[in-house]
Amino acid sequence: MAQLEIKNLHAKVNEDGGEEILNGVDLVVNSGEIHALMGPNGSGKSTTAKVIAGHPAYEVTDGQVLIHLDDEEFGDEEVPEELQTWELLDLEPNERAALGVFLGFQYPAEIEGVTMVNFLRTALNAKLEEREELFEGDESEDDEDDEAGYETSPMEGAADEGEIGVAEFQQLLKEKMEQLDMDEAFAQRYLNAGFSGGEKKQNEVLQAAILEPSVAVLDEIDSGLDIDRLQDVATGINALRDEQGAGILQITHYQRILDYVEPDHVHIMLDGEVVMSGDADLSVKLEEKGYDWVREEVYGTA
Amino acid sequence: MSSEQDHLKETDTEARFGFKKEQQSAFQTEKGLTEETIRLISEDKDEPDWMLDRRLRALRQFHEMPMPTDWPGQPDLSEVDIDEIVPYIRPDIDARGGVDDWEDLPEEIQDTFDKLGIPEAEKNALSGVGAQYESEIVYQNMQEQWEEKGVIFCDMDKAVQEYPDLVEEYFMTKCVPPSDNKFAALHGAVWSGGSFVYVPEGVTVEMPVQAYFRMNSEGMGQFEHTLIVAEENSEVHYIEGCSAPKYSAFNLHSGCVEVFVKDGAHVQYSTVQNWSKNTYNLNTKRAIVERDATMEWVSGSMGSKATMLYPCTILKGPGATDNHITIAFAGEGQDIDTGAKVYHNAPNTKSTIESKSISKDGGRTNYRGLVHIADGAEDSSTSVECDALMFDNESTSDTMPYMEIEESKVDVAHEATVGKIGDEDVFYLQSRGLDDDDAKQMIVAGFIEPITEELPIEYAVELNRLIELEMEGSLG
Amino acid sequence: MSKQVHRTLSESQVTAISEELNEPDWLRELRLDALQSLDELEFPDVIQTPGRTWTDLSKLDFEALVDPEGALEQKERVAPEGVEVLSFAEALEAHESLVREHFGSVVDPQENYLTALQTALFTTGTVIYVPEGVEAQAATIRTTMAGQSLFNYTLIIAEQSSSVTILERQETADEGDFDERYYSGIVELVAGENSYVQYGSLQDLTENTYNYGLKRADTDTYATANWIDCNVGSRLTKTSVETVLSGEASESQIVGAFYGHDDQHFDVDARVWHENEHTTADLVTRGVIDDEARSVYEGVQDVGRDAWNTSSYQRENTLMLSDESEADASPKLIINNHDTEASHSATVGQVDAEDLFYMKSRGVDEHLAKNMLVSGFFVPVLEEIEVEELREDLNGRIQDRLAQRTA
Repeated sequence: MAQLEIKNLHAKVNEDGGEEILNGVDLVVNSGEIHALMGPNGSGKSTTAKVIAGHPAYEVTDGQVLIHLDDEEFGDEEVPEELQTWELLDLEPNERAALGVFLGFQYPAEIEGVTMVNFLRTALNAKLEEREELFEGDESEDDEDDEAGYETSPMEGAADEGEIGVAEFQQLLKEKMEQLDMDEAFAQRYLNAGFSGGEKKQNEVLQAAILEPSVAVLDEIDSGLDIDRLQDVATGINALRDEQGAGILQITHYQRILDYVEPDHVHIMLDGEVVMSGDADLSVKLEEKGYDWVREEVYGTA
Repeated sequence: MSSEQDHLKETDTEARFGFKKEQQSAFQTEKGLTEETIRLISEDKDEPDWMLDRRLRALRQFHEMPMPTDWPGQPDLSEVDIDEIVPYIRPDIDARGGVDDWEDLPEEIQDTFDKLGIPEAEKNALSGVGAQYESEIVYQNMQEQWEEKGVIFCDMDKAVQEYPDLVEEYFMTKCVPPSDNKFAALHGAVWSGGSFVYVPEGVTVEMPVQAYFRMNSEGMGQFEHTLIVAEENSEVHYIEGCSAPKYSAFNLHSGCVEVFVKDGAHVQYSTVQNWSKNTYNLNTKRAIVERDATMEWVSGSMGSKATMLYPCTILKGPGATDNHITIAFAGEGQDIDTGAKVYHNAPNTKSTIESKSISKDGGRTNYRGLVHIADGAEDSSTSVECDALMFDNESTSDTMPYMEIEESKVDVAHEATVGKIGDEDVFYLQSRGLDDDDAKQMIVAGFIEPITEELPIEYAVELNRLIELEMEGSLG
Repeated sequence: MSKQVHRTLSESQVTAISEELNEPDWLRELRLDALQSLDELEFPDVIQTPGRTWTDLSKLDFEALVDPEGALEQKERVAPEGVEVLSFAEALEAHESLVREHFGSVVDPQENYLTALQTALFTTGTVIYVPEGVEAQAATIRTTMAGQSLFNYTLIIAEQSSSVTILERQETADEGDFDERYYSGIVELVAGENSYVQYGSLQDLTENTYNYGLKRADTDTYATANWIDCNVGSRLTKTSVETVLSGEASESQIVGAFYGHDDQHFDVDARVWHENEHTTADLVTRGVIDDEARSVYEGVQDVGRDAWNTSSYQRENTLMLSDESEADASPKLIINNHDTEASHSATVGQVDAEDLFYMKSRGVDEHLAKNMLVSGFFVPVLEEIEVEELREDLNGRIQDRLAQRTA
């Protein structure tokens, strides 16, 4: 059981006189729960996601983003009590990832020259290593220096294979890809390079499946998908919760995906705040009545 | 084709731009360049001593500097013999600094600008107009509302007399010193005419001001100086047009433009260059752009025998922006060597350069550009796009960009393409009923469309019309 | 200004080199002519803009750098079946008329000061002769410089319908007792009708070595000359890789890779002249600079008046890993025939911030993420290399450099 807790989060664009975008967001997502975060364009949904993951384009001006871990959060490793709660805002994006926070991007980066299989295995091993570092403190500092210089190319796979070896990883990747109905050939392609919009989104879910996050924040994972691909992606998301027990914070514009991934909780954002929360019925009501209704309910004006 | 274009097809380039007038002048210097000549010019203008001193110093620098000959692929300037140039011709009108009613001009000068359509344009779309004939401004007028707001738009010679403090501070000091290049030094020695524009803080001059430069005499040099000072958060659009009839001897145009864009100000400088094809057009144009200010250069180079022009922007303040849009068209015997220079000297500065060039009938175009990003100018970006279209195998199209990047936190991109007018494309249009010329014109118009769509409408129309005339001249 | 090296050189020194190698008279004459010409010749062109000289060769102290009598080296040559890979002496003995016909035919010995200096003083070289119709595997040459200066000539003659790949490596034995060293290499590639040659080079000299290189191919009808030019070592490199597409329908690809660190200076040029119909060129250069390194790139696509139906492409990308590094680039198009499809593009910048964030959000730390992005950046170049040995060597050098990165 892990919990992602967002408290009174304020953030602005990270430049002089940058626009204030988040004005006090409060949200709690437990692992095993599916939350939908809805709201009109510009209400701060994507910014919330990016701030959780530590995007450098935003500066947090107030509030907290905490992750509370269980003592058995990462399988065999026991998490000592004093290290069960972390302030994510103090951490680098990769450290947040190591603690089990995953961001599915609205517009995933295209990276030429780095194959999917190599990247994902590196990421998985880096995450395991980083975790050790976070939980064992200074002891592993020396290890890090050893790792800094790669013996051989990260392209070809490290000579020091890391915790998860090449063969083991390929098996894992194959299984997950089958689950998502993805062509095996993707594994050898460069990360998102030349992928269609739908393929990229599928790839985001695949990465989540492999990295096994405690909480996955999925930013508009459903936009630009045809109905078949939408179903594949939905299957993947449901599996994240049902099989891995992940908590899901799903940011979406549309009711459509919620027909396949039924949310336990629905939140509505307006002007940088969560203004309304409810169960799955709220999204249906929203679909019928639109955001003006929300505005009216909240501010008493249309 | 529309009836409007049919009408244009009947327009003759010669009738529109190439007509000649009898030479009548009140005063002119001898050919060539001596200290004596400079003193005469300065005396004829009744200038203060400091200006004469600047002229004489520039003259010395001119004599010390070599002709630029070592640039790769540069136009041939061997014909340009300064001693054959008449540097100063004052037309025969009474009012120095220009009359403010076209009717007050001698008939042949009035007729010249009528034919060029300047008074008509003034009525419809301009805040002010200056018109230079030979070496002097002969007409100068601005709408009263701008004058009331403290905007100055006057003849440069008059500015020396009436605004000496401003001119002494800005004139060829911190922007383009005469030592910048040989032709800047020449200009510093013999400059005459041009415009002075001063826009006070916070004033937006809504319609453009325009200056038109006309050379009429054979073998003369025109050296007008334009100085624009846009104070904080002001805005102005300056348009310059130029033309001359064609003679067998060469003419020289060596203008100098200095623009100061203060914090938050916005200056657009547009040029339609249509010099006759015996003119060497060797200009120096430069802008210094302060914090969060914007400079835009829009240049259409259609005329001249050889042009060497690289409007330069110095992005001095953080957040400053530069846009360059250049269109070059080189026909028979023309060598249009033009481009842009941008210095990013502060963080968060941005430049965009778009260049389109067309060469035909043995003409040569060259995009020559320099982008320099200084150490410390972090988070700056520059994007350069050059496209060239070639009509035939006698023509030449070169692209010579230079990028100097001293800062790593930057985004630098340069792209260029060269293509030909595709026979298939022409055939396709012909099969829809266009004749060969119209088809090609349409393709050219399409080629420059991405640029013309960014221009003010009057300007875009003028540019298209010139290109059509150019195409006809040789296609027909 | 120390272009005065020839004042310390004498005819007798040049004659001694030639006699030592037992050379025929014509070659000795060529050397002496080159020596004579030093007075009038200029350094290779470098780009100058207001206030900036991109590579200042005039600062080099050739008098101190060049020791005509100190040319020591080790050489390895591996010849595949059907191909002769010979030292100059062997080649002169076995194929004198062939060598005489082609030596200096692609690169004029008196093209500039440094080529003339090389012609006068070269002590080592390799002639690769691929007879008509031979389809050969990879020939490899490894030159390990052991003295203070070395001048190395490579002449490749590929006859009609032959095919070969060549891998040449330049290294330095050790730092030696020298403060500074000088390596100069000229490669002439004569690509006969319908021949195919890929020549790859990996320059990994010690970082107290100044390096001048000129590689040029001349292609006959239907010939293909492909270059892979990798620069990792040296203190300063001024090199140009060029193809003259003389034959109808001939092709060339020039692939360049460099990775500079510390205060290395790379001036890497790629040039192609389209002189006949239906020719194709593709220029691809990718470079990384770190620390205080500086890179200069000049690319030229020159399409001649008679080069109908030309296709010519050029791409150059520089990645700056450090704020103290500097990158200059000038991709040029010179087009004299309108029946041309040509384009070029160049970019300079650092590792993309979004890419970096994306990778970090998956748990990869910044250092490793940057290293992966740099490795990935070189992939398009690595993919062009046909000789596996060169691909692995270059990749190995890149990984070594990445491992040394501290920031």
